[in-house]
Amino acid sequence: MTLTAERGLRLLRPRIRRPDAWLGIIVVLLGWEAAGHVLTDSYVVAAPSQILLYLANEWQLMLRALWVTLGNATAGFVLGNLAALVLAALASAWPRSERVVTGLALIVFCLPLVATGPILRVFFGPGNGPQIVLAALAVYYTTLIPLLVGLRAAPDSWFDLVRSYGRGRFSALVHVRAMAALPYLFTGLQIAAPAAFLGAMVGEFTGSERGMGVLTIRALRALDVEMTWALATVATAVAILAYLLIGALARRILLEDPPVILAMPTQAVGASAAWRDTGLVVLLVLLAWAGAIWLFDLNAFFAKGPIDVVEALFVDPDAAQTRAALGKALGETAMFLIPGYLAGLAAGAGLAMLLTLVPALSHTAMPLAIALRSVPIVTTAPLVVLLLGRGAIGTITLVAIMVFFPTLVACLHGLRQTPGQIFDVFDSFAAGPLTRLFRVRIPAMLPAFFAAARMAVPASVLAITVAEWLATGGGIGSLMALSASLSDYDMLWSSVVLVSVLSALGYALVAFVEQHVLTIYAPEQI
Amino acid sequence: MPPDRTPPPEIVCTGLGKTFQGGTEAVQALDLTFESGQTTALVGPSGCGKSTLLRMIAGLEEPSSGSVSIGGAAPLETRKRAGLSVAFQDPSLLPWRSVHGNIALALKLARKPVDSHSIDQLIQLVGLDGFADARPAELSGGMRQRAAIARALATRPGLLLLDEPFGAVDELTRQQLAQDLPRIWEAQGTTTILVTHSVSEAVLLSDRVIVLSPRPARIVTDIPIVLPRPRTQEMARDRTAADLIEQVFSALSDSKSEAEKPLAAQ
Repeated sequence: MTLTAERGLRLLRPRIRRPDAWLGIIVVLLGWEAAGHVLTDSYVVAAPSQILLYLANEWQLMLRALWVTLGNATAGFVLGNLAALVLAALASAWPRSERVVTGLALIVFCLPLVATGPILRVFFGPGNGPQIVLAALAVYYTTLIPLLVGLRAAPDSWFDLVRSYGRGRFSALVHVRAMAALPYLFTGLQIAAPAAFLGAMVGEFTGSERGMGVLTIRALRALDVEMTWALATVATAVAILAYLLIGALARRILLEDPPVILAMPTQAVGASAAWRDTGLVVLLVLLAWAGAIWLFDLNAFFAKGPIDVVEALFVDPDAAQTRAALGKALGETAMFLIPGYLAGLAAGAGLAMLLTLVPALSHTAMPLAIALRSVPIVTTAPLVVLLLGRGAIGTITLVAIMVFFPTLVACLHGLRQTPGQIFDVFDSFAAGPLTRLFRVRIPAMLPAFFAAARMAVPASVLAITVAEWLATGGGIGSLMALSASLSDYDMLWSSVVLVSVLSALGYALVAFVEQHVLTIYAPEQI
Repeated sequence: MPPDRTPPPEIVCTGLGKTFQGGTEAVQALDLTFESGQTTALVGPSGCGKSTLLRMIAGLEEPSSGSVSIGGAAPLETRKRAGLSVAFQDPSLLPWRSVHGNIALALKLARKPVDSHSIDQLIQLVGLDGFADARPAELSGGMRQRAAIARALATRPGLLLLDEPFGAVDELTRQQLAQDLPRIWEAQGTTTILVTHSVSEAVLLSDRVIVLSPRPARIVTDIPIVLPRPRTQEMARDRTAADLIEQVFSALSDSKSEAEKPLAAQ
């Protein structure tokens, strides 16, 4: 049984039912309001009342921008999800292709939006092309993974039933798999909707004429605190609304709430199969890359193929300089990325454990955390930088926040996976809450924790590159932005390759550790 | 419901064996014939390979050796013309369909017309009246199993395979079903193979009880059950029936102690 396929999941509704939770929100708002007024001159915080006032005055501007961004996000959402459906159907109809399909999907997911944005901008020229493509790229993976899990979620006996009437794969797909996967599809769509909005905004950062992303850049340049906060507030509100809307739709259609999906469970395969599939993925990526340049007959000045990148890195006269620049930038990025990533994981897992010791709190925390997980953290990057500065603390915090929410949700979910009977056994020995935590809950939580840790790798890379690009001016994100504006396409393509490969390797490294830990703690999940 | 005119099939297993990957031998080269229209019960200790045998007959499990013929046809052929149904140990109802919807799905899969009226009759027969529109999650374990039995009967198959279908059914309903079901499969004309743990159920339901040894499954005894039909619960207390039950019990415990001998000898 995979960690995500368990049935009878508890209802996880992002609704706040308790009066104390409302009280908490009111206290936070009041504190925010006070901070806004006290820190008026420091260009850091805008109070809720100032944000509302701004929105009331500039509602036409905001609405126009929102409308543009929503349109692009919707187009990307539809395209990205269609791609996910096709890929999942392929993997389901032809199971041997699944590892290659997910491998390719992961590589494409690891492409740094910061660099693919400018490349797409050159490719598409002015217009909405890059925004839509980036929105599609941001969502297809978040839908594909739950869908693949869902297509495998049905118990074997349901397929035996179909077979016992002499029917084949197609009937099984229509009558069993598709229906069983539906809740998982909704889970994916729920996370995809805010992600599409984020993708469209990042696309607009790359030099569009209209939209929320354009306004964000303008506000940041002008140090317009109220406008920055107002934009982040609108983006957050849209994300939460989209999340709730799809959740409500799911509840109308489904019998139960969508399950919590954390990540694709890793599959243990032989070393030779793993190498073969990895080789195949690399080969296909190279073919698609070179093929696209040839097929679209792209300008050699801007479109660099695999051979160009190898030459830029190793053959050209300035290859050593290129390598040095990349190395320096990657080093700067790693300095902030790794502490932020680890801090986010530790904070997420730590808070989840703490909450299980205070069960009353966890009932309120879980729906809140799930809802907040959907917020496109990156769109609030300008705020974090405003609040914490352009240095180490601001960047590390942003990465940590990006990692924190998914980890918290995953760990809270994982901590609940312990079967009740095991606790009955511990209760019969009168074991205290700490013994239960360390002996039962944490081992039961590990699979979920690692699943979150894996998915957090590309997410944290996205966060740090956007922050570097928009705010800090250091690291690989800034290098990519600079190369794009200087039309140094050798450098830009080399960065894309390096960042994608390193993200995928980071993901693989976490998966490797995961395999080893799970062999000991949760052998049934391998 | 007009009775089906084609006679129920005879099932012939020839040298039928199954060894799983990793070397576990579940069933050892069995030669076994299930006669047309008869009800045969397979009893044996848990994990002896009864279910594997049943799944091989349905063609859901590929045998490692030997073959199965269902009225001269291969299992796959029989399945393709909806000639058999299986009531699985786990009721395997689709959670998003009602009881009625689950039964209708079986008819759809079997490419047979969906007749709402006869579905309702079946639902009534297994004692689920009033629950036609209920979803599996709203039913108790026993009720789900009864729904699964109704689904297996719905396609009026020539061969009915029941894998411990009464496991979670309460004692009273069990007795009621034990009286009603044989009437249906007699009327429909089916060959029935029933895997069960309950010796008295095996004796009261079937025309023949086959006792299997612990894994790998071999035939220990083959006991014809000569009791008049319709059978009633009272019969269990009759001399003849009680003797038969006793006979099956002692065959079971013999086979078990025989299997444990080598261990005891060490």
